[in-house]
Amino acid sequence: MPFREINSKMVEALVQPGQRLFSQRGAMIAYTGDVRFTPNSQGGQGGLMSMIGRRVANEATPLMTVEGAGSVMFGHGGHHVEVINLDGDTLCVEADRLLAFDGTLEQGTLFLGSDGGVMGMVRGQVTGQGLFTTTLKGKGSVAVMAHGGIVQLPVTPDRPVHVDPQAYVAHFGDVRNKLSTALGWRDMVGRGSGEGFQLELSGNGAVFVQASEEKL
Amino acid sequence: MTTAPQVMDVTTLPSNDNVNNYTFCVDLNGQWFLQKGKMIAYYGQIEFNGVGHGHLDRLVATSFHSPLHAADWVVAEGSGKMLLADRAFDVNSFDLEDGNLTVRSGNLLAFEPSLSLKQSIIPGFLTLIGTGKFVAASNGKVHFVEPPVRVDPQALVGWADCPSPCHHYDHGYLKGVLGGLRAMTGIGGASGEEHQFEFVGSGTVLIQSTEVLMAEQATGAVPHEAGVPGGGQHGGQHGGQQTPQLPGQLGSLQRRFGL
Repeated sequence: MPFREINSKMVEALVQPGQRLFSQRGAMIAYTGDVRFTPNSQGGQGGLMSMIGRRVANEATPLMTVEGAGSVMFGHGGHHVEVINLDGDTLCVEADRLLAFDGTLEQGTLFLGSDGGVMGMVRGQVTGQGLFTTTLKGKGSVAVMAHGGIVQLPVTPDRPVHVDPQAYVAHFGDVRNKLSTALGWRDMVGRGSGEGFQLELSGNGAVFVQASEEKL
Repeated sequence: MTTAPQVMDVTTLPSNDNVNNYTFCVDLNGQWFLQKGKMIAYYGQIEFNGVGHGHLDRLVATSFHSPLHAADWVVAEGSGKMLLADRAFDVNSFDLEDGNLTVRSGNLLAFEPSLSLKQSIIPGFLTLIGTGKFVAASNGKVHFVEPPVRVDPQALVGWADCPSPCHHYDHGYLKGVLGGLRAMTGIGGASGEEHQFEFVGSGTVLIQSTEVLMAEQATGAVPHEAGVPGGGQHGGQHGGQQTPQLPGQLGSLQRRFGL
């Protein structure tokens, strides 16, 4: 596991020769040893097509490649940081929430419309995910940023979880999500509860929720 | 974990320790220096006076060596418990034993008069020398690292015992034909990590958990003298390019064409 949590807002990553990791540009706090930071115009892995895919999907967050031998400390914007260890699962997360992740993870882009059709697109708009989201798959660690601390809520087949779309951070596993609406006539006359839209996650896995309704 | 807010009184408040991450309690018996506006509450008989006030002259002379920015500091005098906080930033106390520590001016909240405060030769930084306790704030918890280390300029809080840092530039990726193209056109962007402060020697470096700076406090001007950094008198003509070249700038092209 290359990431070590120093405190709630900072992680330390060990960089070894031959391994690389990706991190958000400008998120390095300090480093020791011989480490190189190279801006990664492709926004991550894959070839030119992946890069074009990410550009089209607006999931092309500025990343840099970190290589060399040493240890690097990452933190960004005063946001809380959570390390998520993946063991062959797929993590769905917004690209701009990624602080740093292992180069061994396979990076992809997911079209939300394929998961729920038109409602999936509406959901993307409400959660701020847009029409696309980034997926990371494989064995490795990811450092994810959130406003406020992160809570991990397990999702089991008999226990779906409802989360506020604004507090949603990421999810992994075999989880289907759909936007459930509880809009009534009260919302139309401006007397709603303010919780008209909820994200319902069902299946097998976990969802990460931040302790704030403020987006990054 | 308590569910209700904990009620503290003068006896249960910690003595010279953190109340929570964001508040520090000073068990005052005598005098402390604090930056203006950082006291949030106190128990007991405490008097707050601006530095330079009448009978404090002698104290200022012994432990406050920068009369030029004295206006930003007050002396708390008396006995009681005093709570310090700064805009919900993380607060921590540090003990110096016959030591020296240089800290960013905006991060220092308060210190014991057994320490003496001096302006650092590096603009924007203050140096504490001696034995005693001081309280500093940071954006996110402070993390201690030992040199050799390179630190993002915005994440640096201070350093103790080791020599003052120097600038370090990482321009490795701007080498070669593609690198040159990148440097001239800015295509591909910058990593944002081209510039660090490099620490060597033995000592401790204090870094905060984010690169969001806390507002700087004035440290006062330095005498206008030749040889004083920031003194406003330049020793001589600047030769060549003084600022580092970053991607997207035409860089040395102008110079090459004699512009």
